[in-house]
Amino acid sequence: MIRKTSQAEWEIGELALKPGLVLSMAFSSLKIRLTRTFLTVLTITTASGFMMYLLTMPRSDDPVDRDGWLLMLGLCLLVCAAGVMNTMLMSVAQRYREIGTMKCLGALDSFVLFSVIAESAIIGAVGSIAGIILGLLITTLIGAAEYGSGMFSYLRFDGMTVKILIVICVGMSLTAMGASIPAWIASKMPPMDAMRGEK
Amino acid sequence: MSSKKKKHKRHGKQQTRAHAPAAKINQALQPEKAKNPPARQPAAGNRSAAAARIDWFSNLNQETEHTVMTRNVSKIYHLGEETVHALDDVSVTIDRGEYISIMGPSGSGKTTLFNIVGALLKPNEGNVFIDEVDVAQLDANELAWLRCRKIGYIFQSYNIVKVFTALENVTLPMLFAGVPPDEAQDRAINILERVGLGDRILHTPKELSGGQQQRVAIARAFANRPAIILADEPTANLDLHTGEEIIHLMKEMNREQGVTVICATHDHKMLDISDRIIWMEDGRVKKIANRDEVKIDIAEMREK
Repeated sequence: MIRKTSQAEWEIGELALKPGLVLSMAFSSLKIRLTRTFLTVLTITTASGFMMYLLTMPRSDDPVDRDGWLLMLGLCLLVCAAGVMNTMLMSVAQRYREIGTMKCLGALDSFVLFSVIAESAIIGAVGSIAGIILGLLITTLIGAAEYGSGMFSYLRFDGMTVKILIVICVGMSLTAMGASIPAWIASKMPPMDAMRGEK
Repeated sequence: MSSKKKKHKRHGKQQTRAHAPAAKINQALQPEKAKNPPARQPAAGNRSAAAARIDWFSNLNQETEHTVMTRNVSKIYHLGEETVHALDDVSVTIDRGEYISIMGPSGSGKTTLFNIVGALLKPNEGNVFIDEVDVAQLDANELAWLRCRKIGYIFQSYNIVKVFTALENVTLPMLFAGVPPDEAQDRAINILERVGLGDRILHTPKELSGGQQQRVAIARAFANRPAIILADEPTANLDLHTGEEIIHLMKEMNREQGVTVICATHDHKMLDISDRIIWMEDGRVKKIANRDEVKIDIAEMREK
């Protein structure tokens, strides 16, 4: 939209979302709250480690047993998602004023939304990679204790690329989903309310 | 929030009592209102940017450029069963390059007016024009652009991002505006030197005094070369001397860059350098005075 005024002509522009800025914002936010970031990463690590362990250990012949493990995995991931959501709600609540200020400076709603989700997804990625290593370690140790030197014929170390991808995908989407509600709340907050530090 | 609500409640009650006479005063004290014909009302529901062109500026007095104009702006808060008029039919016109102080007691609607002019709040009635564009017709992205490029905000509590250095704080709005990072950094360093923080660009707010933090906030507000600087009680948290320095810095920047400065304040030091002073009471403009009338006005205010 172009407006002519008596002295100058100016145009109302559009602001573009800058992915680089979103990522650097997410990283700096994680860096600042390093202790809590570490704890959240730890929960993801535990859950995805457990998942990796189930994916690589010999499949149980008993279907009831197998369902039991799956149920446990499901519960584990659910608890994890709740934990991530709690962390991100805290992270957003701590930053109401900051978010409001940034909106006054020209931050788009989508900038706030994606920087919170990116922050969480980074936690998910780091946590799942650590979890994959942990899971494989546990599988190997238990395998070695149970089956000795012949363990590799029992353990399912085949198709590792797919398995690793599955675990990372589950970990990242879990954290991104957990963050989506807090991120939405933060992005839709009017700048003035955010400045007052209220919901 | 609760204290804020109470304040509004109180002034809402007063307002209903003194409704009619105050409205008359309001009109009598506003020569600007008569000077400019009212803007054509935009068609309801038509909010697209293209449709937002209103060709009313041809009606304007061409001698001055109105950076901010509010037309019969009202803001109503509903608090339970009570309706509170935070702003009631406020029309002010502010020209380019002016230094305006908005004064008035707490709960007089200063901050509400400030927020509405800053496109942070939507009025229930009336229109706000910034650089002759009707703010109500802008979508979320265009509003963000307006806040980013046209308006600089300075707050009472500085509101510097605590975890960023002074340099990063000043760079941020430029990055939002799409300035390349290197250029943004160079410009940020220049502005920080201008406000007297050249040797502290890498300090975080923790390592800066209140006055220095407010200087960072001023640098940040000026980063995108805005048309308007909105300052909400910028000296309220500072001691007398530092407050004076900040006021003079703002005045210098106002002169150098031809930026319009609108400043909500309780600070009487501010009066000496303001071009005009707007007094608010009970959500209405009680009086607008030029600088040469200021001394008399203060005496008058004290008598009451």
